[in-house]
Amino acid sequence: MTVDATYLVQLTLNGIALGLLYALIAVGLSLIFGVMEIINFAHGELLMLGAFAMAFVLPVTGLLYWPALAAAILAIMLVGWAIYEVLLVRLRTDEFERSILITLGLSIILIHLMQYFFTATPRLVDTQYGFNGVEIGSIRITWTRVIGAGAALAAFAGLYLVLRYTQFGRAMRAIAQNREAALMVGIRPRVVARNAVVLAAGLCGLAGAAIAPIQLVTPYMGQFLIFKAFALVIIGGLGNIPGAIAAAIGLGLIESWIGGFFEIAWQEGAVFVIMIVVLFLRPDGLFKKGGMRVG
Amino acid sequence: MSAILEVSDLRKAYAGVHALDGVSFAVEAGSITGLIGPNGSGKSTAIDCISGFQKLDGGKVVLAGQDITGRVAHHIARTGLMRTFQTVRIYERLSLRDNLAIANQQFDAANWLDELLRTRRYRDAVEAAEKRARQLVELIGLQRYWEIETGILSYGQKKLVALAAALMPHPKVVVLDEPVAGVNPSRIREIEAALGELNRAGETFLIVEHNVEFITNLCHRVIVLDQGRKLAEGTAAAIHTDPRVLEAYLGMTPEMAEAEMRGAA
Amino acid sequence: MKLLAAPLASMVAALLLAALPLVTSSNYVIGIGLSALIFTVAAAALNLIYGYTGLLSFAQLGFWGIGGYATALTVVTFGGNFWWGLLWAALVNAVLAIVVGYPTLRTNRHAFVIVTLTFALLVTLIARDWVSLTRGPLGIPNLPAPEAFGHRFAGTAQFYWVAWAFSVAMLGFLYALCSSRIGRTLVAIKQNEPLVRAQGIAPVPYKLAAFAISAAITGAAGGVYCFHLGIIDPLFLDFYYMQTFLIIVIIGGAGSFWGVVVAGVVMSALPELLRFSEDLRMVIYGAILVVAMFVMPSGAAGWLRERQLLRMREHVR
Repeated sequence: MTVDATYLVQLTLNGIALGLLYALIAVGLSLIFGVMEIINFAHGELLMLGAFAMAFVLPVTGLLYWPALAAAILAIMLVGWAIYEVLLVRLRTDEFERSILITLGLSIILIHLMQYFFTATPRLVDTQYGFNGVEIGSIRITWTRVIGAGAALAAFAGLYLVLRYTQFGRAMRAIAQNREAALMVGIRPRVVARNAVVLAAGLCGLAGAAIAPIQLVTPYMGQFLIFKAFALVIIGGLGNIPGAIAAAIGLGLIESWIGGFFEIAWQEGAVFVIMIVVLFLRPDGLFKKGGMRVG
Repeated sequence: MSAILEVSDLRKAYAGVHALDGVSFAVEAGSITGLIGPNGSGKSTAIDCISGFQKLDGGKVVLAGQDITGRVAHHIARTGLMRTFQTVRIYERLSLRDNLAIANQQFDAANWLDELLRTRRYRDAVEAAEKRARQLVELIGLQRYWEIETGILSYGQKKLVALAAALMPHPKVVVLDEPVAGVNPSRIREIEAALGELNRAGETFLIVEHNVEFITNLCHRVIVLDQGRKLAEGTAAAIHTDPRVLEAYLGMTPEMAEAEMRGAA
Repeated sequence: MKLLAAPLASMVAALLLAALPLVTSSNYVIGIGLSALIFTVAAAALNLIYGYTGLLSFAQLGFWGIGGYATALTVVTFGGNFWWGLLWAALVNAVLAIVVGYPTLRTNRHAFVIVTLTFALLVTLIARDWVSLTRGPLGIPNLPAPEAFGHRFAGTAQFYWVAWAFSVAMLGFLYALCSSRIGRTLVAIKQNEPLVRAQGIAPVPYKLAAFAISAAITGAAGGVYCFHLGIIDPLFLDFYYMQTFLIIVIIGGAGSFWGVVVAGVVMSALPELLRFSEDLRMVIYGAILVVAMFVMPSGAAGWLRERQLLRMREHVR
């Protein structure tokens, strides 16, 4: 097994792109957990809806990437808002299992409705960039991947700024850190929770829309990714956003390297083994439960 | 009378704050000892550390001659130290009868095999526990609620249930964490009477409380903590006139306290 | 339910259920009855870890699948018989539950849910990808009928009695467990763990035991069910089964032994009523979950209990 330098670099770049994608999903989950102390089981479906939105809007915009991306993200943020107002708003913080079951039910409903209306046939999504890419030496990366990664990075930068410098973001951090104290200073939990859900939905929608041109779009696509996101949230520490991002990128790299040299089955098992080991050694996750420390 | 519970040089710090800074005291067997102090003095931390719910950074805890320092909560309970909690803890969805039965479960000689085969040992254990439970329930005056889910009881009644549960396994010492906090005055007198009666029957109590009247009426000895250290120790009367205590706790000088007492008399 | 009525009623019900193949010759109907029995057992096992102990475990799906594969492999690859296969299914899952449970149960309940979910999904992937052991997507077909004392339980009607005996045994065991001190301790742990510790009881061994027992029983149930299907393949690990077990527990009432049992028997007819469209059936399942969580979060048994409580409160005031 000769280790080709360019192969390794290619794997690493893929790994980072994959990791950024995982990070978008995991951060959304972590955000919702930090603010509401619930796990959103329908999170993967938000991603799937983002992908489908992209698939439907692209033909309308004449395959123009950016307007379609924006439309998809907005659409999913709207869905997130609806989910919050109809379902999640009635949950209290100590109703963890109930929240899981409600969002599980929602997940089932979404997947099967999409399957009912649009069938499970995988869809190929085409954009203005087609399969064109950028070449660095003998390494080739498609534009869609590059843009996807770039958009993710931009989203994280934006999230950082929001959490750190806006009142909206500070309120979220306050609630995550100490709910009672936050309530006492007049922060309204409903508003913050709704904002968190909408924001998380936006991140997921972005992830889905970015994946759409890269992978085939099916109603089940969210399911494959979501369990890894759950594991990442545990590894990074529940509610810890930088932790989730670090864990996600780490996982992306590890999976990419393993997948490049071993069978794909081991790749999938990697995340589970890592999670169990981490739980054994550090029950609170690899990073301290920061309650959304931003840095 | 010998000390049933002895703590020496307890130390606990978090985030740079010394919650406990070398606290030592002893609880005599058969006594009611009070542990008081202003907020932040370390009373709750002391209780949590002694009962195994928090880890000590330093110091020693000896129960009836046995060193229980550093043991986990359930181990300490089995050694004979039972405690109640500031925010009352009972099994709200279970009946009073079941609440008391579980409290005794770990302390009888029967195991799961005995239960399965309904051996003599199991039946005797259950009978003895039931007898004791009925005695305690009568003492706290909640006979009508024997089969009733304890969740429907009032806050004060729940505190009584928690007290009875702590007493079920004939503990060596019962530590009460603010037993009358949030309880209405008539109920407080009930709890006082119950504790008095139990003490006359031989039970030992360490009571953490804010309610000074309650402490004064009940306790033989009172220990005062302030900012993680023992400030004073003595009879309730002595504590009342100790100038250090008055200043730290009540913010008064002895003259002001005397004026207050005369005013109340 | 009053103390004497329950065992009596359940014995009568059990006998009635045993008579099913005598009453109808339709394999289809008997098949539904069989599914009802096995799903009820799996749901009762989930009830033990979730309803009684308060730990929502998605690992049950993994145990179900491993149990099925263990039983099938014992018979097909290792030349053992069906009964040994069931035993292995139970043992392997109990050990796995302890291995996975030990680090996880010491953390919080959030982590537990997620780890168990990941476990189940991992098992699904292994079933599909570890082809040398599980034969991958093709699965292991032609599972033979079990034999005992020289008699072959061939055909759905015959196998029904195997399933019936199994279910009665498992439910009987679970009932004894849930009504014992151990069951009571699990309930106490769910309601107020710090109090349990203050009363001298170590919670972790109990949680581990409940997890291991529920894993073993679910695994054995999987073993029985795959022999009913006659084949085991990765579809056996479809999330649909987990959803079914979960819905039975929720509708019946988590923590209520009889609630779950009755719900299990009653609800197994439901999928058949909703056969018109696979997807719409699942949409309705999902909707039931969501609605139940709002309207009847403690299930039918819980709702009955609330009414009983109200009456008690009136009585006592």
